[in-house]
Amino acid sequence: MATKAYDKSFREEVYDKVDAGEEIKLCMQCGVCGITCPLRDEMTYGPRQIWSLIRAGKRDEVMNCSDIMLCTSCYTCKVRCPRGVKVIDVMHGLAHYALQEGIVPRENTSKFGKFFWNSIYKTGRIDETEVPMRYSMRRGPIHGIFETLEMMDIGRALLSHKRMHFKLGPGIPPSKKIKGIKGLKKMLDKAEAMSPGKEA
Amino acid sequence: MDYFLYPGCSLEAGGSHYLASVEAVADALGLNLIEIEDWNCCGASLHYIGGTELQTKALNARNLAMAQKQGGHDIIAPCSSCYIQMIQMAHEFEEEPELAAEMNEILAEADLSYSGGLKVRHVLDVLFNDVGLDEIKEKVVNPLNGLKVASYYGCQTTRPYGEYDSVESPHTMDDILEALGAEVVPFDKGTKCCGSGIFFTEMENCAPLVGAILGAATDGGAEVISTACPMCQMNLEIYQSRVNKMLHTEYDMPIVFVTQLMALAFGKDFKQSALDRNIVSPKSVLQPSA
Repeated sequence: MATKAYDKSFREEVYDKVDAGEEIKLCMQCGVCGITCPLRDEMTYGPRQIWSLIRAGKRDEVMNCSDIMLCTSCYTCKVRCPRGVKVIDVMHGLAHYALQEGIVPRENTSKFGKFFWNSIYKTGRIDETEVPMRYSMRRGPIHGIFETLEMMDIGRALLSHKRMHFKLGPGIPPSKKIKGIKGLKKMLDKAEAMSPGKEA
Repeated sequence: MDYFLYPGCSLEAGGSHYLASVEAVADALGLNLIEIEDWNCCGASLHYIGGTELQTKALNARNLAMAQKQGGHDIIAPCSSCYIQMIQMAHEFEEEPELAAEMNEILAEADLSYSGGLKVRHVLDVLFNDVGLDEIKEKVVNPLNGLKVASYYGCQTTRPYGEYDSVESPHTMDDILEALGAEVVPFDKGTKCCGSGIFFTEMENCAPLVGAILGAATDGGAEVISTACPMCQMNLEIYQSRVNKMLHTEYDMPIVFVTQLMALAFGKDFKQSALDRNIVSPKSVLQPSA
């Protein structure tokens, strides 16, 4: 029977362009990461099988798999992996890379994460009122009003218990910036330019 | 004793009662907390969506550099997500010279530098190892009188290095709670994940995680759950009503920070312990001394 060689191009792409991508070279396919994951029942493949698919050159299966954005960053797999693979970092790297390639693994988390990063980049910190407000408006103002009303009880409870700053709406008033925001932006730009897959 | 404090974004908002109680405990124990000037977000735990790994490391390198400008004290990061981000950067800086050089190249953009050497510590580490159980016991004026507590560390609190406690079966918070006069109930979900940073956006997937934690604490007879992570406190508490609705349960479990119980036991009042900021009120079970 004729055998077909694996397509190696995708694994090379992962090693070169995905943050922590080379970590999967260490994997011995024991499966501890998969069975140990708190969201294993919600995943189609889990980390071990994803590594295997990468090695087998299954680009579409991996890049379109929403598992890569279902990592809670609990570090259970990372502390249990007998080969010391930085499982979380690879999952995060794959999710970032998929977004960069125009694929949205999980719509809500992708959107929230974008506003989250924007808050860091523009102000230096996370504004816990601003980010959810912007997120609630992601599908337009009408949807935003309904979603805000739905979350009203939680917002009100946080406000009245001194655990949230009041805002009329996104940017009203604007989020406070750290003093060194200009320097921080320069640092982040520099770090981006030095990252795998982003070098000029 | 002097420490740097890295509050992190959460402790200025959803976890403001953690910060207030950490400060109350520090006051009672004579620990001097010096806030890192002009600190920035650590990136946890959704950094990877908009940012690269190197950018997240840069965020943490800046905080270490800002601290080093102020001196050489150990840094206390009470938030477990901040702790895990910052301690990884601190370790990698010592272990990977190439990365350390890259970080300094990036820091130079903001006229900063970091030469290594600072220690990042969780608040449980400092309370258990620097203060110690004997001194904690000595400071108790209002013992918790057998209050039944489930000791919930959350997933990130002792990870990834297990520097001060086991990554699988930690005991530091249990011991502190017992030193305060509480009874630590049997509870097998101490290091299980609550959904962390994706709970809010992936609630259907994560609600069962919170349900299992609340259920195990209830089964163990807990009157409150004690935690040392603002994300755990938030997910278990403010979304408890949502989880009840989704899972058809009726949990009414107060989720408090270990430092809130500590402040109370040290003689601070309900408000000084920031227990008035808990949304599922622990008032009836804590019976504050007037």
